[in-house]
Amino acid sequence: MRISRMRYFFPLGLFVALFLDGALSQAFAGAMFTSTLAIESRLVLLWIVMAVCFGKIDHILVWSILAGLVFDLYYTGIIGVFVVILPLIMYLTKLMYRFFTPSFIVVLLIYLIDVTVATVMFYWINLLIGFTNVSMAGFIGLSLGSTLAYNLAVFVLLYFPLQRFFESFSK
Amino acid sequence: MRGWDLVVQPFSYDAAFVFMEEIMQRFFFNKRLIIVLVVLIISFVLVAFSITVRNNKATPPLVQQVGNDAAGMADRVIAYPANGLKSAMGSFSDLMNTYSENQRLKSQVDSLASEKVKDQTLKRENKKLKEQLKLNKTLTDYEKISASVLTRSPSAWQNQVVISKGSLSGIKKNAAVMSKKGLVGRITEVNKTNSKVELLSTTNDSANRFATQVMTKNNKVVNGLITGYNATSNYLVMGQITVKTGMEKGDKVITSGLGGNSPKGLYVGTVAKVEEDDYGLASKVYVKPAADFTDLDVVTVAKRVD
Repeated sequence: MRISRMRYFFPLGLFVALFLDGALSQAFAGAMFTSTLAIESRLVLLWIVMAVCFGKIDHILVWSILAGLVFDLYYTGIIGVFVVILPLIMYLTKLMYRFFTPSFIVVLLIYLIDVTVATVMFYWINLLIGFTNVSMAGFIGLSLGSTLAYNLAVFVLLYFPLQRFFESFSK
Repeated sequence: MRGWDLVVQPFSYDAAFVFMEEIMQRFFFNKRLIIVLVVLIISFVLVAFSITVRNNKATPPLVQQVGNDAAGMADRVIAYPANGLKSAMGSFSDLMNTYSENQRLKSQVDSLASEKVKDQTLKRENKKLKEQLKLNKTLTDYEKISASVLTRSPSAWQNQVVISKGSLSGIKKNAAVMSKKGLVGRITEVNKTNSKVELLSTTNDSANRFATQVMTKNNKVVNGLITGYNATSNYLVMGQITVKTGMEKGDKVITSGLGGNSPKGLYVGTVAKVEEDDYGLASKVYVKPAADFTDLDVVTVAKRVD
């Protein structure tokens, strides 16, 4: 029986993307967190979305729950936020992707919707537990716009490499 | 229809049971809805649990610690190349403005040597006086534990970094954390080999309660608390001021050592402006922080020795 190499590459890439988010935020904190903008790097989301669209991966739900759990434990210390958001985004992507034929624009739009949903949910939970008191309008100006712009740029850069990667290793 | 049957029939347990079952079936038929609800409830319980643990306990539960330590190990593999890239870029920009910086620093270096000698003499004298008074430990004594910053939360709402030392190196919860320039935050979670630092720039309700004091020009001391952070101006807000008078722009702000978590004498910043608070009763002091909260690579944890 032939075992797909994706079995190892997908979790490895997932956690590299997860830790790279933090490493980038630390290295470029001066540019990413200022008084007028707050960019949240979401490479891990990009990895999951591309995997759903172009890869054939076993247990993707379990892996996204695990990645969410590590995010909550390691980055925020508040369990129960990303552990729900990541599988939800995975499911949402699967649901939307079913209705379209795959193309650059379609995946881009799906990804933008995903990032928006994740960012809004994350903001809402933080507002609920008193970690921020920024208003909805403030949130859109401060965080949502810049986060979308940054993640869009990363998407454009990484779409074709990731597409080729997932398609070639999922055969 | 079933409801109508129930009304005309005399009451029977059988009919009631069938009726209930049908309602239950119709309601619980949507399995997906149930899953969503259960997941939401579990998630809220977990969030509530972790907030309680975060505020009350010295260390997180063992499972959480083990997970965090494992994540920290894996993160080191990725954090070090990224930090290397950052320092390479930093040294390039350093190189570009070396000349002007050199000019500026030359003037300061001469006075620094004499300051240093004076500092040493005073320190020695202070030590001798303490011995004579049999004062072994005062609020200004602390041990330094230096650690490197591994990563920062990729989140707009948690101003949090993870540092590379934990309870094995003697780090305690709520200890003060400094960069080279001044106070940056406090320890909120201690694992075995790494711990989380909440920066002063956070707007979390339960954070930012450092006891600080302003040293005025005429040798008076004004005590207060760091009660918040103004993101638009990048000023720390100091409230609960004891007396109003005598504070001027440029006065130094240090930690006062009151409250038991931080030692005395850690540099916080300088007074930027003094304002009446919203009710005109007490004054609010805006403090310009000495440290840059977005440029941290090595930090020092101040551990009180008393």
